[in-house]
Amino acid sequence: MIFREVEDRDLIAKARRGHVDAYNVLVSRWEKRVFNYLLRLVSNREDAMDLSQDVFLKAYQNLKKLEDPAKFPGWLFRIAHNEAFSLLRKNRPEGEIAGELRSGESSGRMFPIELNLAIQSALGLLSDDQREAVLLKVYQGFKFEEMAEILSCPVSTVKSRLYTALDLLKQTLAPVNMGGVE
Amino acid sequence: MSCSSVDLKGYFLGEVARAEKNSVEDHVRACQSCREELDRLKLTDAALRSLVEEEAPQRIAFVSDKVFEPRWYETIWRSGPAMGFASAMLLAAAILVHGFSVNGPARPVATPTVNTAQIEQRIEREVNNRLDAVVAKQRQQTAEMLDAAEKRFESKRQTDLAIVQQAAQYYEKQTARLMVAVNDQQKAGQ
Repeated sequence: MIFREVEDRDLIAKARRGHVDAYNVLVSRWEKRVFNYLLRLVSNREDAMDLSQDVFLKAYQNLKKLEDPAKFPGWLFRIAHNEAFSLLRKNRPEGEIAGELRSGESSGRMFPIELNLAIQSALGLLSDDQREAVLLKVYQGFKFEEMAEILSCPVSTVKSRLYTALDLLKQTLAPVNMGGVE
Repeated sequence: MSCSSVDLKGYFLGEVARAEKNSVEDHVRACQSCREELDRLKLTDAALRSLVEEEAPQRIAFVSDKVFEPRWYETIWRSGPAMGFASAMLLAAAILVHGFSVNGPARPVATPTVNTAQIEQRIEREVNNRLDAVVAKQRQQTAEMLDAAEKRFESKRQTDLAIVQQAAQYYEKQTARLMVAVNDQQKAGQ
């Protein structure tokens, strides 16, 4: 992990000096994580792919503004968060129930296994904010402080979203079938 | 320490300080409902982590990608004006060199014969070499992809197995508890 961070930092420094190849290596390292984060957030493969391209383009254009290269992961996911929510706001009119599964997108989903479908639909029942908190914590392994920076909100809000999300997911993925037994 | 003051989720997510971690562990050891809650959190987390990561459908390409840029000889070969210009320059250079190096009356100059067959052979050889390299690279990439897919499949299988085992243990525990509760009730009834 330490070596990985050093290498990323080196690539960022090179990319800042105009080495396109260095940036391409950086993209190939992070594209899968960013794509999956966006895919699970917007639930549509084409949108996730378009957003991923936008994210890496914006990151390249703004790479010189990144003060601390060690903070690249959080910085990159902050861009991804902004792009994703910009699309979600555009696609989802105000007043629509957050987290409600959108119809007509089943062709864009790509999890054929039953367990995957169950998890996907459980995630789909969360609000966008809650789902994003789960994605950043469980799948991307960010700390609460890093998540707060990515989402531009206090740590208490991050915790609240994540804890509520876990309670909801627990009901679906680990239900208590034998209630009443203490 | 009461159940409500225990940050069980924070503990499970590795977000509590060492001192708090110890006190949570002490509490969990003594508290049945918090142990069950922790079991459910583990099960939820294991299920979430079993979600397969997707490969991006296409490589993200937004800056010039040298892999797809034509080679220098391809650029010249495909460019008519550049090829013409290069030929003219070569001819001019040849005339100039000839003018400086040759003294005395002009001697009949043998017209240089262009061996097109040789050039074609060289081009073909070059193309074949490049093609072989690309095919070899593709084969290697396919083998690597197959290998990675096999590893992914095995890892997925192991994860699923772990989830099933965890679930089985969880429900076994719950059944045992139910049995104990039923027995207790029966005893109380008697």
